[in-house]
Amino acid sequence: MRVLFVCSAGMSSAIVVNALKKEAEKQGVAVEVKAVSTQEFGEEVKNGWDVAMVAPQVRHRFNQLKQEADGASVPCELIPPQGYTPLGGPILLKKVKEMTT
Amino acid sequence: MNGFIDFLDRRLSGPIARIAEQRHLRAIRDGVISALPFIIVGSFFLIIAFPPFPEDWAISLWAKENVAKILIPYRMTMFIMSLYIAFGVGYNLAKSYKIDPLAGAQISVMALLMTIAPKAIPDVGFVLPMGNLGGQGLFVTMLVTIIAVEILRFCKQRNLTIRLPEQVPPSLLRSFEALIPIAIVLLLMTLVTVVFNLDLHALIGKAVAPLVTAGDSIFGVLIPVFLITFFWAFGIHGVSIVGTIARPLWEVYLGNNAEAVASGQATLPHIAPETFYQWFIWIGGSGATMGLVLCMLLFAKSRYSKTLGKTVVTPSIFNINEPVIFGIPIVLNPIMVIPFVIVPLITATLSYYVTVLGFVNPTYIKVPWTLPAPIGAYLSTGGDWRAIILVVVNILISFLIYLPFFKMYDNRLVEQENEENSVETTV
Repeated sequence: MRVLFVCSAGMSSAIVVNALKKEAEKQGVAVEVKAVSTQEFGEEVKNGWDVAMVAPQVRHRFNQLKQEADGASVPCELIPPQGYTPLGGPILLKKVKEMTT
Repeated sequence: MNGFIDFLDRRLSGPIARIAEQRHLRAIRDGVISALPFIIVGSFFLIIAFPPFPEDWAISLWAKENVAKILIPYRMTMFIMSLYIAFGVGYNLAKSYKIDPLAGAQISVMALLMTIAPKAIPDVGFVLPMGNLGGQGLFVTMLVTIIAVEILRFCKQRNLTIRLPEQVPPSLLRSFEALIPIAIVLLLMTLVTVVFNLDLHALIGKAVAPLVTAGDSIFGVLIPVFLITFFWAFGIHGVSIVGTIARPLWEVYLGNNAEAVASGQATLPHIAPETFYQWFIWIGGSGATMGLVLCMLLFAKSRYSKTLGKTVVTPSIFNINEPVIFGIPIVLNPIMVIPFVIVPLITATLSYYVTVLGFVNPTYIKVPWTLPAPIGAYLSTGGDWRAIILVVVNILISFLIYLPFFKMYDNRLVEQENEENSVETTV
């Protein structure tokens, strides 16, 4: 499963990415995760991702990001704030699973 | 309480956030941001030219003798930042209209260059006065860039292009497409600068002078500081919104300060470039949460705070604090939001007056925002060790104010954890 994260600079989501990776490993799910900034998102989302997840603090740009994801037919949703922490792995993985089924 | 928070989110922070997403503002923001690496690398040569060492050291003497040469990389980057920004804004605005971004970038650079008139110097040839391509020229840059790209878009929409026979290859077509808008923009700018002999930079400079003064006052600092934490309190990236409006002003201050240093002036004109906020206020990230992280490391009782404290300390040192803001969480947390808003207002006021009174040098060098605050503050002030003391004091203030609120909140977590435990054991 290929998951693309987007936040303001691609920095904070890098931390959350690790939380998701760890949880996926624990549950034996193979994931590839990458974090990008809102500026990079439009180009990156075209590269065959299964889901796109938008960090809660850039939700004011969600509509624009969603449009870009729709253009590439990638399901795109907001990350729930409770999941956007280093301890939020289980919430994130659950969300990703919901989005891909 | 929840109703009130909900009201603020829907009626206030939401709509303002959407304004910041307006097309032109967004293009300006992304355009300015695209130029930051050039400003960061360029400003570093200011440190080399004015090294933070005693004046009689060999390196200081060498720098003093060669200052003009050492500053050439600075002159070609940060000193003419408006040129890079014009390219970036034009590119992003055109891209948002889905027209050729390169054409948008190029037409913008042309429009900006047309606002300054070259001078003929004997034996040298034509020379461009560079001053107005720097921070000073940023307002004119935004204005002419938007006009130029809007003309480009208008011509495209109305199909005002030169039609070529079908056998012309498509790559050639693209370069002909821009002919008419370029001609219009060039003509317009010639009218302004050459025929009417208007100095746009002087005109706009006068018009925005009150704004430039206001943004550098104590309220000009406290208002954005408050707004940034206010947005974060709802979980919205405050700097990305407030910065959309304020960043051009911040870069003007930085450019002016750097230029004052480069030209050997003793006092710097501005207190509050973005670097001031970054290194003295947002220590550990927005909301100055470094102190809060220390609270967690030293005083956490609940299992949750203990674990979180350990995981967030490293990113916090590098000023990344989303894990803190969403982890604790501070977002929509009526207890933790109070210090989150108060701490930066206090450290901002202290840092402002300490700088005004000359106890710490104003900042004029841009370094990456992910440096630990003491290092960033030291470099950004051109190597003023007193800046490090101010950072440490601000962390202490942050720690002391966060502490009672954190303890109150942490006790609640302990109670919750105990309840959960007792439920588990009875089940």
